Amino acid sequence: MTRRRLALVGAVLLAAACVERLTAPGHCPDFCPSGQITVVDTLLTTSINRDSAYRGYVVSYQSPVMLAAFLPDTTGTLDGRPIFRFNGFGPRLPISSVDTGQILGADSARLQLYIVRRDTATHNLRLQFYRLPTTIDTTTTFDAVAAPFTNAPVRTVNVDTLLAQPGGKDTVTGDSVVVDAVNHRWLLSLKFDTAAARYVGTDSGAVAYGIRVAADTLASIAFGKGSVGPVLQWYLRVDSLGMPVARKPGILGTTLANFVFTPPTAPLDSTLAVGGVPSARSLLRVAFPKFIRDSSQIIRGTLFLVPAVAARGAPADSFVMEARTVLADFGRKSPIDARLDDPIVIHPGAMDTIKIEVTNMLQLWAADTTHPTVFLLRPQAEAQYFGEIHFYPSKAALRPTLQITYVKQFPFGVP
Amino acid sequence: MRPAVGIAVVAMTLLTASPRDLSAQDSQFGIRGLGTPGRWESVRARSSGGAFAPFDALSPLMEAPLADISTLTATAAGGTSHRDAQLGDTITQLRATRFPLMGVAGRVAPRLVVAGGFTTYLDRSWDVTLRDSTVLRGELERYRDEITSDGSVGDIRLAAASRLSRRLAIGAGIHILAGSTRMTAERRFDDSTFHAVGQVAEVRYDGFGVSGSVLIGVAPGLTIAGWARADNRLRAQVGDSTVALTDLPRMAGAGLLLAPSPRVRFAGSAAWRSWSNAGPGAFDTWSWSAGAEFGSGRMPIRLGVRGGQLPFGPGTKAPTEFAASAGTGRAFAQGRALIDLGVERLERRGGILTERVWTVLVGLTVRP
Repeated sequence: MTRRRLALVGAVLLAAACVERLTAPGHCPDFCPSGQITVVDTLLTTSINRDSAYRGYVVSYQSPVMLAAFLPDTTGTLDGRPIFRFNGFGPRLPISSVDTGQILGADSARLQLYIVRRDTATHNLRLQFYRLPTTIDTTTTFDAVAAPFTNAPVRTVNVDTLLAQPGGKDTVTGDSVVVDAVNHRWLLSLKFDTAAARYVGTDSGAVAYGIRVAADTLASIAFGKGSVGPVLQWYLRVDSLGMPVARKPGILGTTLANFVFTPPTAPLDSTLAVGGVPSARSLLRVAFPKFIRDSSQIIRGTLFLVPAVAARGAPADSFVMEARTVLADFGRKSPIDARLDDPIVIHPGAMDTIKIEVTNMLQLWAADTTHPTVFLLRPQAEAQYFGEIHFYPSKAALRPTLQITYVKQFPFGVP
Repeated sequence: MRPAVGIAVVAMTLLTASPRDLSAQDSQFGIRGLGTPGRWESVRARSSGGAFAPFDALSPLMEAPLADISTLTATAAGGTSHRDAQLGDTITQLRATRFPLMGVAGRVAPRLVVAGGFTTYLDRSWDVTLRDSTVLRGELERYRDEITSDGSVGDIRLAAASRLSRRLAIGAGIHILAGSTRMTAERRFDDSTFHAVGQVAEVRYDGFGVSGSVLIGVAPGLTIAGWARADNRLRAQVGDSTVALTDLPRMAGAGLLLAPSPRVRFAGSAAWRSWSNAGPGAFDTWSWSAGAEFGSGRMPIRLGVRGGQLPFGPGTKAPTEFAASAGTGRAFAQGRALIDLGVERLERRGGILTERVWTVLVGLTVRP
């Protein structure tokens, strides 16, 4: 029985050792700890230096879209034209398992292409298709194909008119449009007649087209590439022992999908450029103060950038610029640290000071003192917008600045 | 149900049962200061207001009473406090469960008893939340702070006592102060653009003290006691850095025990502590107590009151406290095991803060 009693006493003492914990409201300063959390806000005006801009990371033919625009402006017209090429089947086509026949020509063809980005404010959107030389390639410039674009278009399509048709189908022209509300894109299926879809067997059957866009306002759209790129279905006539027979070969994808534009991108100057085609990036090197890095906790960091000129680009094509940091500072070839990014939307035409929250990166620099203290500015979707912005560099009066809010070390242990 | 089992079950129920919204926290008067001083009393002494502490061998207040211990004795105590802290019109319910006392003593020579153990010197557990705002980047930003401290400074005592004569016993002890607190400071802004702040530190404390005491039998049934103690300083360290050195108080006290019969005992005591050494916001304190114990050693009834001052508080006057307590005890196994139970109602006042505390105490003493 004595053991039982002692066990009970032990249980009592064990229960007594348990502690519950919640909180109580403080009434300062009388009933608060003497130490307080101290927040300091500082503007670093000279900590960003040795900045530089580089261009050429993503060029037009590497872009996942083909940009089309026609935007007259007081300073010039932004004119972007997709160009693409399909290789053909050559001069002959199989007509049976053992025989081939001479391709006599094409009855017609059906071109399918996706509009993957558009401005909902655009009205009366028209597409004009031009036949281009099949010699176009990734180095083709706007001027190089200017002449073919002066010819009469092989097809003209009014997308708004087509959308207004029942079911999006024009029974007269054979065109149709399907609205993909989920992916926010339009699939255009256009019928090219014999004249528009001329099959030249002696030229291997290759065909190239270019597109110009027009609208009442804001003519700026993007066509898809790759899996959502243009495809061509030929309807051919093939000679079979002196008799022409119809053949429908397989669908062809593009062997080149690119876009050309004017005015050409201006060469880099002393400003910090971000965006454009080919895409430009800028590096900003930060002298991160040791007193912040070593003995404080950063709760907010904001990078201030003053545009040197209004952001260029199609008015509707606001683009996202992101600030990142790099794993190593190798100048233009600095590998990007993919862990953190802080984005901000750039609106063409705006001259407002850009404020980017870079708290996460500053905290990373404070935690890892071996990490390069470099900001890299780049467009989130490189070469997918004409938009480009230029900021004042560190040698200018309106240089980039960094505002940091941090908390000092709490005075633990001080009564 | 047997009485012993019943007592244990009741004690466990009292210690563990609590409303959901209570929290662990020592006196809020100790937040702005070194902490809340512990009470160097066994459950038996505390149940009688602390008046018997100078004469109680199991209370670590004095060493001289150890001289009367005849066999190896070990003791421990636990207590749960239910606290209402009233700040203006706001009442917050808090709860703390502590294990503030453990000791062992035994005779090593015919005239020499030694003892070792620990008790709480300063309790430093609290959790404060604060809602406020500040102007940052030209905007008023609201935030919520939470600053916590969890831990205490313990008093590890090594003591020796000797009865020099039938009327005179003396004792002395050395005190090693050691402990740590885990402190956190957090701030969360309503505007999530400002990231939350969280800082943590382990603060270690150390110090040293010496004490001496004397017990004099003036006449049959009348005993007086006196004691004094000096501690040097409390050093607080974070990592390898000393962040604070705080002078600790000197203290002295005296007590009177009157036992007109074996079944009736009265006691009173008083103590002074120079806590103002600790710096601004600290006060010297006086405390007093009076109590009585009725009945045999098998199941006595204890009553007591105490009052005095607290060393830390706002303003220019030390906060005050007053408590009334009661308790009993029960011996088992031919007196080899003792359970003491006590309950205390305490009120502390200082500035706009009033604390009202119910404390349930359980003590266990074993004489193998």
